[in-house]
Amino acid sequence: MNTNLKISNVTKIYPGCVANDNVSLEFNSGKIYALLGENGAGKSTLVKILSGVIIPDEGKIYLNENNLKLNSPLDAKKNDIGMVFQHFNLFETLSVFENLIIDSDEQRKSLREKIDSIMKKYNFSIDLDIPVLNLSAGQKQKVEIIRCLIRNPKVLIMDEPTSVLTEQETSELFLSLKKFSEEGILIIYITHKLKEVMQLCDEVAVMRRGKLVSVSQIKNENIESLANKMVGQNLKTIKKRKAKTSSDQLINITNLNFISEDPFETNLNNINFSVNRGECLGIAGISGNGQSELFQVLSGEILSDKNSIEYNKNYIGDLNPQERREYLMAFSPEDRLEQAAIPQMAIFENVALNNFKSSNFFNNGLINENKIKEHSKKIISDFNVNTDNIELKSQFLSGGNLQKLIIGRELITAPDLLICFNPTWGLDVGAINYIHETLIKINEQNKSIILISTDTDELLKLSDKISVIHKGKLSNIMNADEVTSEKLGILMGGGN
Amino acid sequence: MIIDIHFIGLIITSIMASAVPLILASCGELITERSGVLNLGVEGMMIIGAISGFAFMTVTGSLFIAVIGAMLAGVLISTIFAFLTQTLITNHVATGLALTIFGIGISAMIGKNFVGIPGKEFPVLFESLKDTIPFLSPILFGHSIVFYFAFALPFFTNYFLKKTKIGLIVRAVGDSPESASNQGINVKLVRYSCILYGGAMCGLAGAYLSMIYTPQWIENMTGGRGWIALALVVFSTWNPIKILIGAMIFGGLTIIQFHMQAMGVRVPVQFLTALPYIVTIIVLVVISRDSRKIRLSTPSSLGKSFYKDN
Repeated sequence: MNTNLKISNVTKIYPGCVANDNVSLEFNSGKIYALLGENGAGKSTLVKILSGVIIPDEGKIYLNENNLKLNSPLDAKKNDIGMVFQHFNLFETLSVFENLIIDSDEQRKSLREKIDSIMKKYNFSIDLDIPVLNLSAGQKQKVEIIRCLIRNPKVLIMDEPTSVLTEQETSELFLSLKKFSEEGILIIYITHKLKEVMQLCDEVAVMRRGKLVSVSQIKNENIESLANKMVGQNLKTIKKRKAKTSSDQLINITNLNFISEDPFETNLNNINFSVNRGECLGIAGISGNGQSELFQVLSGEILSDKNSIEYNKNYIGDLNPQERREYLMAFSPEDRLEQAAIPQMAIFENVALNNFKSSNFFNNGLINENKIKEHSKKIISDFNVNTDNIELKSQFLSGGNLQKLIIGRELITAPDLLICFNPTWGLDVGAINYIHETLIKINEQNKSIILISTDTDELLKLSDKISVIHKGKLSNIMNADEVTSEKLGILMGGGN
Repeated sequence: MIIDIHFIGLIITSIMASAVPLILASCGELITERSGVLNLGVEGMMIIGAISGFAFMTVTGSLFIAVIGAMLAGVLISTIFAFLTQTLITNHVATGLALTIFGIGISAMIGKNFVGIPGKEFPVLFESLKDTIPFLSPILFGHSIVFYFAFALPFFTNYFLKKTKIGLIVRAVGDSPESASNQGINVKLVRYSCILYGGAMCGLAGAYLSMIYTPQWIENMTGGRGWIALALVVFSTWNPIKILIGAMIFGGLTIIQFHMQAMGVRVPVQFLTALPYIVTIIVLVVISRDSRKIRLSTPSSLGKSFYKDN
């Protein structure tokens, strides 16, 4: 049966921000629709309205001409609208089956049979009796999808589904989505990744600052045209210069091991690599394969054997992050709000946290506020942070601005080595471009970078050499111009 | 020294009796905590239960009304906690501490009129079976209904959490209230219910103390048992069966150290009094060492407020 979903004049206003400004859209089953936009463009708000999580101030939703009252997620479920959220809505400590039965009215046995038949049909293989926290991100997503499919949905909404997936998992997901679509499920796919839109979708709606800016057929678009619609201006494409080969070794890791006592961390197993001056070493991998442990060992949050890290002819494995900073190392951790900055503190206070010796931020134990503020202003202007109020709490900065502030804070000491972990995760195209440009500039100044990232495109764009981490082990180090994203994908999955 | 076999039976019976209020309060608090709510007011709710039970008994003369009244009093005072933490989103820790102070204060105030009044005898079950099996039957038979309920409760609680849909929902809410809410579960309703249930069990535990264990009202008669109950929940890693073990060890050592003091064992009294606390915690830590299991049974959202923003 044909499904028709209509969004009519939906408006949602938050204090100081119009999240959705009079948006009207129409979808028909048999096609895959993309909803494209940068972070904060209002696409998440729109799909949350469709799934009953947010109630719009104005506007109506029609499914097959019926006006839907979506006051809670339950209403959406009852009306056959299924949604897979960007942040999984799973109960980590419950088993897969418990996660699925919790909102189902069926008996255990019949539900189990139903799940088995769904898994068989779409070639999923998941152990139903292990706790969800033991699953990979791709498997968790499949659990979410199964949860929707149990209810035979008419509409399936996917909110940024590939942000945690590998290349292979992504193509598997796309195959499944195409199958669902052929079976008559209306698919709405939310993303800011242009490549995916071109690959998967039939029609694309672009949003910018809460407004719908265009609706068009994919066949009439290309990546550049969509990027420009999304950002609202012409983006310059950046490219890295060919690396000049330097043989001046800056950091050398030998036989680095880390055995964790926490069973939910990954052990690092005999890590060896070196980085020369002016070089960027990319470390690819599916999240949870030891990246965060590797970052912590490199930054000194986890101490290791003194001789395992040789930096600029000093052995520094047993130094803490503060001491390592004195050797001109700089760090940008993965989680901006948890690890890199303290959200409740002002911008300039966060700047002062990176307290290196020559900074004079503190005199005899007292805070030299003027000095810190002056320094913060310099960072803000040098690194394009879009605010002029350095007393603003850093939690009110957007992800992109906060990342620029953190990178700026790290780079203003002119370090020889920057170690960063997913520096552009969750940022919009403009901010990503800026961060990428900055990282390229560092390399051009003959400084080095270790870039740990789960974004393969980013690694291929920025790295000179690439290695893949899988279950705490590093692969061989390859020259970046010799690898393809397919090859990385295989290595990331543990293949050869 | 020859120890009479009846004497051992007597000790075991008194150990079990002293474990009853701990089991009741812990199993109630366990459900509350499994839903993600940390209620530190156990001591306060118990003492309210104790004075309410005793007062209802003295005034109405009915033991049944007294027990139900004590449980309702526990529900009532936990409603205050639920309203503050769930509706007004106050901090769980501070609110729970306030509840304990409030409970101790108000029970002392009400209790003024009940000091020195003798309690009533509470009917016991299976009295006639006491002579059937030597040694065992005096231990097993001839106790109050609350006693039997308490020893069945950990198993019911375990079954409820692991096998029933509502138990699953409680665990889900404790794991991630956000996800639960997005799944259409009414998080506030679940948490309110769990808090009130915890209140009822603490009220019952208090009533057991003032009506059955030592049938009289003494100010501050819970004597820190609420805090032990709280500790049992945490150190048992939210497992009702381990609560039973912990409560027995604690009760056992409390009784045994009394007897050791009476026998004049040459160990400092302070050490003997501290022994139950130390040993219970050590044993529970040792039997709950598996960090994987801890992670799986710890309610991830414990003590965190949840509010929905639209």
